[in-house]
Amino acid sequence: MSSDPHRSRPDSPPSEGLTSFDEDWTQLRTLLLAPEQTQLDELRERLDNRSVHPREVSLVLPEAFAVRGEKDQQLSNVLTPYVEDGFAAAVRKSPRAIVDAIAPIMRPAIRQAITRALRSMMQSFNQSLNESLSVRGLRWRVEAWHTGKPFAEVVLLHTLRYRVEQVFLIHRETGLLLHHVTVDAAVVQDQHVISGMLTAIQSFVRDSFGASQDQTLDHFQVGDWTVWIEEGSHAYLAGVIRGAPPATLREDFHAALHDIHAQHVDALVNFDGDAAPFKATQSHLEGCLQAHHESSWPAGTSKVWMLVGLILTASVWLGWIAYQAHARWSELVTKLRAEPGIVVTVVRSAWGNYYVKGLWYPLAKDPSGMVIDAGLDPSTVTAVWSPYYALDSQLIATRAQSILQPPNTVKLTLEGETLVATGFASSEWVREMRRLAVFVPGISRYRADGLVTPSDLIERINRAEVRFSSGSSTVEASQRAALGTVAALLRDLDQSVSQSGQWVMLEVLGSADETGSESTNIQLSKARADAVLAILEGERFGQSTTITTGIAPGVKQRALKGESAGQRIASLRATLVPSTRGTEISRP
Amino acid sequence: MMQKKICMLGGFAVGKTSLVRRFVSNMFSDHYQTTIGVTVEKKNVTVDNRDVMLMLWDLYGDDEFQRVRDSYLRGSSGYILVMDGTRKVTLDTALALQQTAARTVGAVPFVSIINKADVRSEWEITECAIEQLRERGWPVLFGSAKLGQGVEELFVTLATRMGNPSPRSTDRS
Repeated sequence: MSSDPHRSRPDSPPSEGLTSFDEDWTQLRTLLLAPEQTQLDELRERLDNRSVHPREVSLVLPEAFAVRGEKDQQLSNVLTPYVEDGFAAAVRKSPRAIVDAIAPIMRPAIRQAITRALRSMMQSFNQSLNESLSVRGLRWRVEAWHTGKPFAEVVLLHTLRYRVEQVFLIHRETGLLLHHVTVDAAVVQDQHVISGMLTAIQSFVRDSFGASQDQTLDHFQVGDWTVWIEEGSHAYLAGVIRGAPPATLREDFHAALHDIHAQHVDALVNFDGDAAPFKATQSHLEGCLQAHHESSWPAGTSKVWMLVGLILTASVWLGWIAYQAHARWSELVTKLRAEPGIVVTVVRSAWGNYYVKGLWYPLAKDPSGMVIDAGLDPSTVTAVWSPYYALDSQLIATRAQSILQPPNTVKLTLEGETLVATGFASSEWVREMRRLAVFVPGISRYRADGLVTPSDLIERINRAEVRFSSGSSTVEASQRAALGTVAALLRDLDQSVSQSGQWVMLEVLGSADETGSESTNIQLSKARADAVLAILEGERFGQSTTITTGIAPGVKQRALKGESAGQRIASLRATLVPSTRGTEISRP
Repeated sequence: MMQKKICMLGGFAVGKTSLVRRFVSNMFSDHYQTTIGVTVEKKNVTVDNRDVMLMLWDLYGDDEFQRVRDSYLRGSSGYILVMDGTRKVTLDTALALQQTAARTVGAVPFVSIINKADVRSEWEITECAIEQLRERGWPVLFGSAKLGQGVEELFVTLATRMGNPSPRSTDRS
């Protein structure tokens, strides 16, 4: 390959002077060196044109990134702003795609966080509920009131066996905080400063006791808190724990730190102060946020308390029932003692059964009815009453009522020792009352001037008459009022005779003056009687009253005497007849 | 956010804690300094449009009774050497502490500050000595914790140097 065709070119003669030899030589050279000539032309072009071809760069780009990335952080530093800008632009342009991409990561984390929060809340709620009514709970309620803390928090603190409240992941060499998690209720100071101070304290202790770098402060305790430190090769975990943690928790710390070292070894080795990569340790650290509460009640205690509660409730209920029954019994006894005609001599009660013994005047109030009225079960009350004759003044009227048996239309009242009878009664009953009244114990006199007998009523009815205008059979308004009075008297009469077996016969007799013919006057008289009857029919009487109509017999005689005005009337004639007729209102 | 651990070094009573107090809102008591020899503070600064959280380890002043613990220096991304201009001995202490720091954490950025600039007339540290420090490659700042002068600049300068490490920030000796 020493024969470079280009090298001989300057020595070649001008083309116009080519000889046959030269043409042959050129042809031969072309035939022999054509492939190499092509390659040489390509190489020359690439050397002359140093621009980078994307296709060629794409072949080596991944390897180039890897080589430079191992060498230093320059590549990351250069790319970071572009990646950030690109990510921001992508979020603005298509947030949905970003959400879809990170959803598989975020969902479990969010779910876990919500689950933890709900579990913590339910635990707190249940704890508070369980303790709210116990003696211990009342004591803690006082403490909550005294300290100003929420009751749920006081319960939680007293029933807490242990709770990891904070977990720090700290870079061992620098003491810088890599990540930090905490429970919601924990009081968190500046975690970065705490990380530094924790690291300083470790160094101080190690230096003070001449310990080697491998020997570390394992834990320290302050009041209710214990700080556990789990050392790793590049980072350490510091867990702030309230209460007394079990030894198994240390294993969990160790496992979490081991996993973090395994998964983030590059970030730990090359840590330069940027803690962003360690956000991925969130789940590991949250796994260390463990808590355990002692059960509020020993096993079986809750059942005992439930039983005690039931017994107490039943006792209270039964006691209330018994109290109410006893109150009713006491009230009944009081009423019995106050009741005229009842003398209570013995009262006993035991286990829901009651016994009463005494004297009872049969005309007095019925004691068994009083038991029912008091709301007591009659089967639980045993009453033994002996009859006696009571002289209580309150019973005189009752006694008189019992002896005299007055009709419903008679009312008996007492004015001192005087029996006063008012109302309507038959003449027979009035005679009987006058005979017996003075024999009723407690009554020395009687007064019956307020009594109205059937004779009195009949007399008043028969005095009534209805006046008509000349030639008219219409009852005028002024006369209707008089008829209303007659109707009321008839009702009283009906009532007073209804029990005596007699009937009231009322005759309405119409009459007319001498004016007109006789036949006309007779018709007019009858029409006037019928008009009165029609009005009386509108009134309601008892079944002992019968009303008839007729013509007054003395019409002509009065006409001859010139008593024309007195003849335009309808008169009433009430009589009592033995009960031999049915109830009817008849017209002749 | 990027975190950086930096240590405050210097002789006894040169004003390290006062400088830190001027810079941060303190959370922990000085008591820790006298018990375990350090107190840790935090301050966020912005350097080149990037937020950086400075974790300031304020170490107990080095004196004949208590030496600075090497273990506190480990992991530092930078440190601040504090001198008291009115006491020349604090410059010697700073030189020794710088050697210790360089030996412990290597060539990380650091800044030195001569405190008590408000009483410049009383300084024992001469301009010549300061020039010698600069020749050694030390960035030397002046400040007054009492007046708050140069404090913000001190920490921002160190944060900037940590973000852009350069050979000048390390001791050439």
